[in-house]
Amino acid sequence: MLDINNLHATVGGKEILKGLNLHIGEGEIHALMGRNGAGKSTLSAVLTGNPAYTVTEGTVRFNGKDLLGMSPDERANEGLFLSFQYPVEIPGVSMVNFLKAALNAKRKYQGLEPLSASDFLKLKREKEKLLEITSGMQNRSVNEGFSGGEKKKNEVFQMAMLQPCLAILDETDSGLDVDALRIVAEGFNKIRTDKMSAIIITHYERMLDYIHPDYVHVLYNGRIVTTGDASLAKEIDDRGFDWIEEKYND
Amino acid sequence: MSEELLINNSEKVEVELSAGEQRQIRLLSPRNLHLTIHQKQGSDLLLHAVSLADEDAHISINVFQEEPDCTTALYGLAFTRGKQVVNIETHVFHNVGHGKSSQLFKNVLADDSRVSFYGELKVLPDAQKTEAFQTNRNLLLSRSAKVETRPQLEIYADDVKCSHGATTGQLDANALFYMQQRGIPKEQAQRLLLQAFLEEVVQTIPDEKFQADVRRQINERL
Ligand SMILES: Nc1ncnc2c1ncn2[C@@H]1O[C@H](COP(=O)(O)OP(=O)(O)O)[C@@H](O)[C@H]1O
Ligand SMILES: [Mg+2]
Repeated sequence: MLDINNLHATVGGKEILKGLNLHIGEGEIHALMGRNGAGKSTLSAVLTGNPAYTVTEGTVRFNGKDLLGMSPDERANEGLFLSFQYPVEIPGVSMVNFLKAALNAKRKYQGLEPLSASDFLKLKREKEKLLEITSGMQNRSVNEGFSGGEKKKNEVFQMAMLQPCLAILDETDSGLDVDALRIVAEGFNKIRTDKMSAIIITHYERMLDYIHPDYVHVLYNGRIVTTGDASLAKEIDDRGFDWIEEKYND
Repeated sequence: MSEELLINNSEKVEVELSAGEQRQIRLLSPRNLHLTIHQKQGSDLLLHAVSLADEDAHISINVFQEEPDCTTALYGLAFTRGKQVVNIETHVFHNVGHGKSSQLFKNVLADDSRVSFYGELKVLPDAQKTEAFQTNRNLLLSRSAKVETRPQLEIYADDVKCSHGATTGQLDANALFYMQQRGIPKEQAQRLLLQAFLEEVVQTIPDEKFQADVRRQINERL
């Protein structure tokens, strides 16, 4: 589904990714861990086509297509979704209009007619229920005045509406209290189909108690230096990153 | 009851709001207008100045609060393009006390267009307990568009609340990217952000027909 080969990327003139390789198969859950500043969000930005980041070398194939050659909206409509670490507030654009625009853009891309008003409402209600979202939230401007937890919930709610085939959750767990974390993680599990893959970026292991990863990777020095199963996340939770970084210092 | 007055392309207009009168004034794309409004005691003015034509324009709005307890609300929006030049001036004079005035002027500039906003706000020595606010926000859609904003506050009374603010910027790149990440094409995302920017003014228009007309004219320029 996703093949990242020798990916190099810079931001603000600084090289952050230095030859990263990662292969994600259909239906797989990959956890990506690493210290603050390791480049985890840089990887999500590069994959989704954020213009502030520059790819200097490497290739990425997504469902057989050249991902890096596509515009950000094409990538999204091909089924790539990012739950932002810092969701953006858009004053004056209502959640409802935003969701409609997003859903219908995807349908247009797929050659489908726009969703009828009643079908849209039905879908929205169904997904709101899944994530225990009060519909008042959806009458406001996109993310405006939302609490940290509401913003993260809203990201996963949008994911539920758009049903991507590859979702990147960039620290969706941080800023959530225990209950909100459970709702978001369980919501994610309900949204998931056998075909959907995910990259779960996290510092902590607690998200992975709900969403069981098939692989756990550690990002250091711009590369994935080690890969293991869920037990690696446990070990990092207990011992931190020092012991890994010592091994891979050049 | 509020009365309405729609002024189109007249050059010099004088209006008086009598004591206690509430009035709405709508200006739809005037080319050259010098409007003077005298407010008597307790009168209430709500004015919308909309510039959505392709001609150059010079709009001067002069408000005199001549008796106490007046309220003045001025809203403006302009969407310029091509080589258009639009000058907007407001002069609000608080001559006496206990008056309120607020101003919100938002402009979107495309291509090589120019907008200048000159906002004079004068609070005279007798105008204690005045509350006066002025905001001017500009959005530049091209590198060659230019905006000049000159707020001028002159305050000669000490027991007042006054403020002004002016900002000029581009469309929020983070918001654009966020929308694109959700599948919305860039041009459509830009349109949504522009509508949102101007909507802050549009939503203050009480007359539904006029409001719908303004929205339609904005959309035609997107
Ligand atoms: N817009 C930017 N301009 C300059 N440097 C940046 C920018 N964004 C991120 N960085 C730098 O890139 C590095 C990696 O950041 P990031 O990918 O956000 O790390 P992580 O998500 O793993 O915490 C950090 O050193 C950070 O300071
Ligand atoms: Mg990060």
